[in-house]
Amino acid sequence: MTNTFRKPIVVGIAALVLAVLPTFIHDMFVLRVLTESIMWIGLAIAWDVLAGYTGYLNFGHGAFFGAGAYITAFLIKIAGVPFLLAMPAGGLAAALLALASGIPTLRLKGAYFAIATWAMARALQQLALVLDITGGPDGMRLPPYLHPQFFYYVMLILVAGTFAVMWFLLEHAPFGLKVKAIREDEAGAMSLGIHPTVIKMQAYLLSTVPAGLIGGVYAYWITYIDPASVLGDLVTDQAVVMAVFGGLGTLIGPIVGAVIIYFFKTLFWAYLSDYQVLYLIILGVLIAMSVVFLPNGLYGTLTGKTSGKTAIQKGLATGTPEENSRKQGRKEVVHG
Amino acid sequence: MADPILQVEGVTKTFGGLYAVQDVSFDMAKGSIVGLIGPNGAGKTTLFNVISGYYKPTKGSIRFDGKDISGWPPYRLAHIGIGRTFQIVKPFAGLTVLENVVIASLCRYPKKTEAEAQAWQILERTGLADRAHLAASGLTLAGRKRLEVSKALALEPTLLLLDEVVAGLNPTEADQTIDLILKLRDQGITILIVEHIMRVIMNISDEVVVLSFGQKIAQGKPGDVARDPAVVEAYLGGEVR
Repeated sequence: MTNTFRKPIVVGIAALVLAVLPTFIHDMFVLRVLTESIMWIGLAIAWDVLAGYTGYLNFGHGAFFGAGAYITAFLIKIAGVPFLLAMPAGGLAAALLALASGIPTLRLKGAYFAIATWAMARALQQLALVLDITGGPDGMRLPPYLHPQFFYYVMLILVAGTFAVMWFLLEHAPFGLKVKAIREDEAGAMSLGIHPTVIKMQAYLLSTVPAGLIGGVYAYWITYIDPASVLGDLVTDQAVVMAVFGGLGTLIGPIVGAVIIYFFKTLFWAYLSDYQVLYLIILGVLIAMSVVFLPNGLYGTLTGKTSGKTAIQKGLATGTPEENSRKQGRKEVVHG
Repeated sequence: MADPILQVEGVTKTFGGLYAVQDVSFDMAKGSIVGLIGPNGAGKTTLFNVISGYYKPTKGSIRFDGKDISGWPPYRLAHIGIGRTFQIVKPFAGLTVLENVVIASLCRYPKKTEAEAQAWQILERTGLADRAHLAASGLTLAGRKRLEVSKALALEPTLLLLDEVVAGLNPTEADQTIDLILKLRDQGITILIVEHIMRVIMNISDEVVVLSFGQKIAQGKPGDVARDPAVVEAYLGGEVR
């Protein structure tokens, strides 16, 4: 069977299994674990779109998740908007945040962009801590809607939809090639008619809007949000570890990483809850080890898809593209 | 000149206090090959980067088809038909040879299937078709230089800027590349070429512009320029007085 036929069949079977799963599962804890693992898959894929495909490490990913969660919560709680109408507003909030933060920061390269996005996320967390509307450190309580299967399906449809859109845009449409061209060589891409800032902005939106939508679903599902849980470092950190561990620059890698790490985390918390601090230590060691020993991630290493290393190198490079091309220009003058 | 496609008028580019290019002017006739030569550090690549939009000129202007394009970014120039190659080749290493060219083709053919069809045609022309599905990082230097040219050609340029596409190739590969350049000229593409290898410049250029320390010291037919005392001095040094 050729590859072209195998892929849709695998995806189809996976979708079918995921769709019928809740009818066989009556244990609410298991369903909850499944829902949350799907959520992390979505967050990890979304992060990878910017990091793995474009080579920009966004360390403020959690801010988009948190913004989506808070906006959805405001609309449900304060304005009384039904959830399914409030959820798109979470995506919209993420898009606005992406535009506001992307226009000044996407001109920066690598490390500078990573720091700028991280700082933005911290600022947003502080803002949520001091405002009245967010309830400050006490957070917000939402009217509970106790229907786990509903959230399982909402999350599944949202994440599957995100995957489908990203697969189409990145692996099928011309957009994917342009994005990869920027990751491989921004200056070179410019000479071929690609406007890097426009393409990066589109990739940034593609990466952050799903995070905002997922944040909205999370808020209504968990019914309680506070600055630490939705705007803290941990949201970003986990998505990053999952994507890097699984393999950047592919859509399958982050799924593999998310599933493995999320289940590891769940088992850890279920059986070793007295040693929670160990989880963070292990997570930290894991990310360091996977960057050093598996720069292409688990999936990348196993399949030979090798864009992860390039993405990480570009993401940590310093200097604006202009500066770098000037440096290179000088070098060329010396040689030429 | 009857119908210049590119007019470089008094272009100066400084880096801090260093004049990398100083007050350089020349015109290029449509369909001609102009060679840009000069000793190491003469400012050839800087001038190239100014013309191709990577640097803004500190002073002076560049006209393409009569339009002032000074300071236009590279991606705009690509759309109006100026293609360039890089001395330090810039393949998208993680992508295949075909994908590399398709990215450039998308500039003219926004639909992927059409871009792919055009990319295949170009790879046939440049002799890379049999390596289309190889990773670009797996090509030899000659292959990568050829890929550079292929990508520039995918923009369907009217003006092609070639930065040392022959240097570093063995004689057979060099001859193939020279043949390719002459074919492109015959198809009506105007070519500005920077090259160290004099055999190449002297054989294919209609006109040669010589830079030294950022300034234009000579311009003319290849044979005349080679005998110009200023050029000889720039390359070999003056007499000891």
